[in-house]
Amino acid sequence: MSSSGAASPLSVSHLTVRYGDRVALQDVDLTVRPGEFVALAGPNGSGKTTLLRAVLGFLPPDAGTVELFGRPVGSLSVRERALRVAWVPQGESPRDDVRLREYVLYGRFPYHGPLDAESEEDRRVADRVLDEVGLADRAADGILTLSGGERQRAILGRALAQTTPLLLLDEPTSHLDIGHQLDLLGRVRSRVDGGGVTVVAALHDLNLAARFADRIVVLAHGRRVADGAPSTVLSEELLARVWGVVADLRRDPRTGAPYLLPHHLVSVTPSGPPALLGKGPVHVVGGGGSATAYLRALVDAGYRVTAGALHLLDSDLETAEGVGALTAVEVPFAPIGEEVRRRLRALLDGASAIVVAPFPVGPSNLPNLEEVRGSVGRVPIFLVRRPTGQEWDYTGGRARALEGELRTGGAVEVASPAELLRALAALSRPPPVP
Amino acid sequence: MGATARAGPTPSAERRGRRRWLLLVALVVGGIALAAGSTLLGTVAIPPQVVVQVLLHEVSGGQLYPDPCAGTNVAPRLCGAYEVIVWQLYVPEILLALIVGAGLGISGGALQGVFRNPLADPFLLGISSGGTIGAAVIYVYRFEVAQADLFLPLFAFVGAVATGLLVLGVARGRFSSVETLLLTGVALANLLSAVLSLVLLYNPVGSEQVTFWLLGGLGLATWEVDGIAAGGVLVLATLLVLYGRALNLIQLGHDVAQSAGVDARRVRLRVILLASLTTAIAVAFTGIIGFVGLVSPHIVRRLWGTSYRVVLPGAAVVGAIFLLAARDANYLLFPGSLLPIGIFTAFAGVPFFLYLLYRQRTGSTMGSV
Repeated sequence: MSSSGAASPLSVSHLTVRYGDRVALQDVDLTVRPGEFVALAGPNGSGKTTLLRAVLGFLPPDAGTVELFGRPVGSLSVRERALRVAWVPQGESPRDDVRLREYVLYGRFPYHGPLDAESEEDRRVADRVLDEVGLADRAADGILTLSGGERQRAILGRALAQTTPLLLLDEPTSHLDIGHQLDLLGRVRSRVDGGGVTVVAALHDLNLAARFADRIVVLAHGRRVADGAPSTVLSEELLARVWGVVADLRRDPRTGAPYLLPHHLVSVTPSGPPALLGKGPVHVVGGGGSATAYLRALVDAGYRVTAGALHLLDSDLETAEGVGALTAVEVPFAPIGEEVRRRLRALLDGASAIVVAPFPVGPSNLPNLEEVRGSVGRVPIFLVRRPTGQEWDYTGGRARALEGELRTGGAVEVASPAELLRALAALSRPPPVP
Repeated sequence: MGATARAGPTPSAERRGRRRWLLLVALVVGGIALAAGSTLLGTVAIPPQVVVQVLLHEVSGGQLYPDPCAGTNVAPRLCGAYEVIVWQLYVPEILLALIVGAGLGISGGALQGVFRNPLADPFLLGISSGGTIGAAVIYVYRFEVAQADLFLPLFAFVGAVATGLLVLGVARGRFSSVETLLLTGVALANLLSAVLSLVLLYNPVGSEQVTFWLLGGLGLATWEVDGIAAGGVLVLATLLVLYGRALNLIQLGHDVAQSAGVDARRVRLRVILLASLTTAIAVAFTGIIGFVGLVSPHIVRRLWGTSYRVVLPGAAVVGAIFLLAARDANYLLFPGSLLPIGIFTAFAGVPFFLYLLYRQRTGSTMGSV
């Protein structure tokens, strides 16, 4: 396909690997370009580790080929391979308290005959790598005295000291806290940017993958099901299909990278998010925290939601934004103005159902009820029953009158989020065929 | 180092490094002193001055002290006997202790390395049982006594090597995991022990020697024996030391080693072979001497760290000194009689080993209990 000089660091074609009867990888193709940071994603057992191990030549393929820089991996000697590719395995835990510097020098093994002492080059590489992983000041310490994050960096250092053009990482961040995850992948990223190194890393965390990798390859049941730039690969649909997780896709406002906000397993709500979900969101009118429980319950059940109109600083607004709901927002304490009313009207028009939370009503937010009245007869309206003996109407009876109109217009009263969900689910069942 | 000031090794690390060097020097100097001093101990009490003069006489090729007993009141006839005892008995015995100790030490260290198991010892693969069977054949079926000196080590060696190869061969078939190898060794050792028990049961003659053999001893030491043993152990130990770097990586696991350029399977096989041959040499000349191979590598780890580039040669040095010390302990505690040396490796080694274990509780290799 190409001359060996321009051969890609890693070229996998039609790779199939079986463990006995179980197919671990099925007809996988993957070509990695020089200087690329490729993230391998996929649920547990999808074949990420198997793919990395096959690339390293540890697992003979049942079909297909693996080539490293144009050479079939099986044709390389152990040493030749170690000069081309280094590996940070999952859960390497050194047992002996070797000093860090010596441990990093282990990576220099392929550069030595049995009698050689450490060369000047070895020492230079070790110093550079220790700097690169930020452990220069720990060089003389025993590796077992390092913290988990430091130790993972030490393992990366051992692999980097091999100075190979290709680096494979298997879940390098799985036991690290968020700070150390960013730190470690940041260091790998700068290796890629600065050193012409190509990286293939199995990463569980899709957001980290999207943030650091140039490309995400998704495996599911041993097959490659998606491959491309993070912004094109990651989608709500992919997450539901491959991971069985309902999630919201957002964009990192600083980097523009996509990120996913996972909510719950698809299988948690086997009966719904019923037919309504396809038609439109459920709109919740509330305020003062009255809508929070209902917003959460709806989102958890798989409904998309909208909310408003709400005032800035209202705790319900915080919840609504937290669950990613579109909202109509007014400045604090001001009456809901014409602009916001129009936006609210648009939200109500798009809604497939409307929920009125038990919010205290005053002159400033009375327009909420007025607008909801406009939707009577068009979509189902649910009115949350207000606790008795508690004043809520500060409009001299106008709010009470409006709610009465809603009731007579067919609004259904509910007493709890659970009851609301039951009522919605009943609505979404297909109508009985006459 | 440029503009960026890098913090050097912490002072404590530097102090530790210096202490390690001092320890090494002390050990080597102490070992030489011990070897020299050991000539004063033996089955026969010989005046120290005579011992010194005999040694100088022999070492200088007769230039110094043409009469080794000059200036002492030892009768000339007795002097000749002393000369023979010191030079033909004590010195070969001391040298054999050093050679076999070194062999067992390095062999134990190497096997602990390939099996990643701190409890591995040189007799792991049934080599001891094989060697004993070989020896028992000689003792029980009594060949010409004059030839025993020659044939005993040969038979023991053949028995030991054959067992080691058998274990490797059986385990290397379809199921070539390390566990299989270890279990095969244990199983075969037990089978051979059963065979040995049966043989001894029906041939009570010679069972005493076999028992003696099982506890090990330096009784076969001669200059010829030393020459053969030294040659073998030196070659094998040198080859083993070359695998130190690879063994370090194997400690990180088969796959990590493999990914870093160590052909783990090949290294493992070769190291097992070399270590088994080394052990077989030791078994051939001194029987089964326990504890040296198990403990010496651990002593080195406690004193100098866990790198196999240090553990392998270190275990040879420590093992040599250890076995010599056991020999001396024998003569000090039971003047005049050479008892099975395994008794003394245990007496000398266990308290010291326990002391090391309890003094320094860091660096566990297997987790805490």
